[in-house]
Amino acid sequence: MSIWNYAEYAAWALSAAFAAYMVIDWLKTDSTYSEEVLTSSREGELEAMTEAKGGHHG
Amino acid sequence: MAEFDITSKERDGMGPHGTNVGLLRVLGPAHVWALGVGIVLVGEYMGWNFAVGKGGAYAALVACWFAGILYTCVAMIDSEVTSTVAAAGGQYTQAKHIVGPLMAFNVGLYLVFAYTMLEAANAITAGYLISQVAALSGFTGTLDQRPFIILSIMFLAWLNYRGVLATLTFNLVITAIAFTAIIILFLSTSGIIAPSMMHHAELFAGNAALPYGWIGVLAAMHFGLWFYLGIEGTTQAAEEVRSPARALPFGTLAGIMTLLIAATLTWYVCTGLIPWEFLGDGLNGSVAPLFTAALLTKSQPLVWLLGVGTLFATLASANGCINDASRAWFSLGRDKYLPGWFGAVHPKFRTPYRSILFLVPIALAFALKAPLDQVVTFSILSGLLTYTFMPLNMILFRKKWPMGSITRGYEHPFHPLPSVVLLALCAITFFAVFLGYGTQLVAMIAFYIVASLWFHFWRYRFVSRAAQFTMPWPRPKGY
Amino acid sequence: MAHYVPPKQGKLSQLFDVVVLMALTFGALYIPMFMGLAGGVKSVPEGAGQTWEAMGQNATQIAQYNALGFTDPAAISNIINARYDYSFSITALLVMVVIIVAYYVLMLKFSETEYREVIAEKFDK
Repeated sequence: MSIWNYAEYAAWALSAAFAAYMVIDWLKTDSTYSEEVLTSSREGELEAMTEAKGGHHG
Repeated sequence: MAEFDITSKERDGMGPHGTNVGLLRVLGPAHVWALGVGIVLVGEYMGWNFAVGKGGAYAALVACWFAGILYTCVAMIDSEVTSTVAAAGGQYTQAKHIVGPLMAFNVGLYLVFAYTMLEAANAITAGYLISQVAALSGFTGTLDQRPFIILSIMFLAWLNYRGVLATLTFNLVITAIAFTAIIILFLSTSGIIAPSMMHHAELFAGNAALPYGWIGVLAAMHFGLWFYLGIEGTTQAAEEVRSPARALPFGTLAGIMTLLIAATLTWYVCTGLIPWEFLGDGLNGSVAPLFTAALLTKSQPLVWLLGVGTLFATLASANGCINDASRAWFSLGRDKYLPGWFGAVHPKFRTPYRSILFLVPIALAFALKAPLDQVVTFSILSGLLTYTFMPLNMILFRKKWPMGSITRGYEHPFHPLPSVVLLALCAITFFAVFLGYGTQLVAMIAFYIVASLWFHFWRYRFVSRAAQFTMPWPRPKGY
Repeated sequence: MAHYVPPKQGKLSQLFDVVVLMALTFGALYIPMFMGLAGGVKSVPEGAGQTWEAMGQNATQIAQYNALGFTDPAAISNIINARYDYSFSITALLVMVVIIVAYYVLMLKFSETEYREVIAEKFDK
């Protein structure tokens, strides 16, 4: 078998690993936090915050 | 940047009550440049050469520059509106505040499609490139491109999932390398630091320069957009840059200048080395023209450099696309234009994680199943619909909030000239797409009409009316 | 004016909306492909030449093709000879113009109605 055949398998395996990481983290996050917290982002509120604090952040 | 106490009342990105989980303001102007140029630079590495196929070498150059004018207008208009409407969602949020909800819904869909299709095109190119490298390295079997296509999308989705700062810093590095590769290829083939390898006169002989005459120039405008498509995506970062009023205009305008240079150099090198028929066939001929050009120089270092450049450009672009498409999808969800489930932000990574995940299988479906020029055309069409919306948006913006009525981060000169020019160029491009790809154009518009009716008569009932207008502006003039 | 309170959408209804939207998307992209209507209409004219001379290639062009690995002109004649057909009917063009203009008019009109409602609720307290 050529190195490229191994590369194919490695690519399948890595893809699966990245996918698994995201799916597991997604399910974990969804079960840890309430839906209210997760979807609490509101457009424009950031703006109010930044201006109130002088707009300087690191 | 992973560990945050989400109950902190001090943390940037929190709402006034200290419990909200929002996106994080961490980016600077260089990230905006990297997001804009990163998405687009791949257009120099693949795709633009279909313009050569549609009209010949000179037609591609004319298209390149006219599209350059179109995008300069886009960048100017975008800079003014976005430095004022600084929210994730970019043009979608602009449309919501300036034109109205249905327009906003459509614009949101244009953005998601333009970027997701572009992401698919990038993954296809990355897979192709790896198969080429395998062949060059002496591999005799047929390489299965699918695992590499899937891996590039999965890896970048993972990077995006984990946080925006690392994502765009990664983009900054690989975009800079890909841009440098174009400059080095130009310097070493054009006679500046090594003997010239250019054969423009011979390759343009006979009718090779304008094989279809002037109608070919018009037709080439279709893929001329590809030199710059996606630069408008810089606006998606508005909720994550530290200083939107400064960083967005600066990053966007620096981006368009970088691209004008890169596009012209790319055209010069490729048309001077590759016969137009081969260059113009991006499916069976030259899929990655800069890489083909490097092969023709017979210089191993250049072949490697441009191979790496092509791969980095495709990755940078797919990366930026995942970033932008998910921001747009997230914003639609947050306003309930789409199911509110998508409006979630990851409490640790501060990314719109559900939107990122949801768009992965869709990108994969197109990357694995559709041919490149179709995918590119769908992306271009969605982009084109966005550009047609922009001048309408700009004219209404200046009409509803005249100069001086609100603070603008940047004011573009010569209004309404850029809007009128942009509208005229869009009309030409619609005609160009019609020449050869008319069916897709009609299918696409039919899709948006059906989706619009669905939104207006069904979906809009879930949207709060006044709450979606979030800018601290006075009442628009005339309402 | 009365403050509009949107209904809360259940999980199942949310899922259904996503399915509808996805069906529309895949339909728009795949139906033209399945019907064989999509794609650039590029074709090779009948009786097109198969030799370098007949395809009008000069010495430099032949040299570049050789460098790309194509030494047999017949192997690449399909790429060199293929051309788009840009003839079109005025009717088809007019139909397209009407569709695009109608789309934008429809959208601006509906948007305007919805926008007036938003502004009224936002500023008429």
